[in-house]
Amino acid sequence: MSGFALGAAVLLLLTLVAGMVRVVRGPTAADRMLAAQLFGTTGVAVLLLLVLAGGGSVLLDVALVFALLAAVVGVAFARRGIAAPQPGRGGGHERE
Amino acid sequence: MIPALDILLIVALLWLARQALVARDLFKGVVLFIAFGLLLALAWVRLRAPDIALAEAAIGSGLTGALFLSTLGRLRRMEREAGQAEPPPEDGRRGGWTGGFLTAAGTVLVTALLGWAVWALPAGAPGLGDAVQARLGESGVSHRVTAVLLNFRAYDTLLEVGVLLVAIVAVWAVARADFPFVTRNAEAGSVPPQQTALVNLLVPVMLVVAGYLLWIGATAPGGAFQAGAVLGGAGVLLLLSRPHWAVLPERRWMRTGLAAGLLVFLGVGLALVIAGRRLLEYPAGWAGALILLIEAAVTLSIGLTLTLLFLGGRPAAGDPAPTMTHTNQQP
Repeated sequence: MSGFALGAAVLLLLTLVAGMVRVVRGPTAADRMLAAQLFGTTGVAVLLLLVLAGGGSVLLDVALVFALLAAVVGVAFARRGIAAPQPGRGGGHERE
Repeated sequence: MIPALDILLIVALLWLARQALVARDLFKGVVLFIAFGLLLALAWVRLRAPDIALAEAAIGSGLTGALFLSTLGRLRRMEREAGQAEPPPEDGRRGGWTGGFLTAAGTVLVTALLGWAVWALPAGAPGLGDAVQARLGESGVSHRVTAVLLNFRAYDTLLEVGVLLVAIVAVWAVARADFPFVTRNAEAGSVPPQQTALVNLLVPVMLVVAGYLLWIGATAPGGAFQAGAVLGGAGVLLLLSRPHWAVLPERRWMRTGLAAGLLVFLGVGLALVIAGRRLLEYPAGWAGALILLIEAAVTLSIGLTLTLLFLGGRPAAGDPAPTMTHTNQQP
């Protein structure tokens, strides 16, 4: 079980690296932010797998905080998209 | 599998750090910083430091990310008001060879010094872990990190809480609140229902989790800083969803709340001095209760500090009407 959980965690980290390419290349602000939001979700999954692999139940608390605080960034980004429409560009889809 | 996990983490962290530093586009830099914070929290987990992982996940990635987005909004608005066209963002270095060389040399030097410092440590030194463990029974808590932070080295933590108060005083001294987020939808005249539903669901959960982290700090990783950060997250969500709260004028309870943590901390310390003990030398049997009292007050102050920092400056004094320059101009 522990070996499978660690293997899955490594696989998830690899998908996270693939997500980083999207953060760096964009092209829109929403592309970058959604990839970062996905990191939060993936991070929660990695932490839960580490608990399965014997990392200790304290990691569940870390996962809880990951999930809650990622939502704060997401909402702040969504409000910013409406707050700062660039001239001649769409609301949340402005090119960066 | 464990080495593969760790190597992936290290490589990804270094790559993210480099990308965040060379990004010419500030928004891209902020998103990379948020991602970096998340991975750094995972790295702390792997280093078996869950206390720091909790703090990094809450403060380093979540709240700092939101604060950076707030700063970015202010910068954009200032640029627009100054009538400047946004410079076309392009990645890459601009400093030329000299700047690049100096940066590289400095980085290599600091890294070498750090490596030398670690190398020079006596091999197999026990550290202070055993000393802490030996006196843990007297500390009033059963979690070693909390015992050090709130009992054995409480003086350091007292000063840290003071630093937080100084930080918000400094921000209030140099800037007026200028909330760079539109909290209403221009068309509907209200917050979108999805956001309201999300916030109504999340804020109560965050309050419970903050209370949980505060309480569990006595026996497991957690405590005032982590709980305060989650509380601050709830505050930021409320500011983003309650249009009238983001323009609230300065009130006395704000100042009281900001100072409460330091006041209670100092009050406990001074009361002990008056009772004939040393500063923050808790009497036997009272340590657990006093630590919880201090941590509860510090949690509230940290939460309020982080929430008010998100406004970007000191709230307007008195009547809010004439100062609502940005959020009440919708038709």
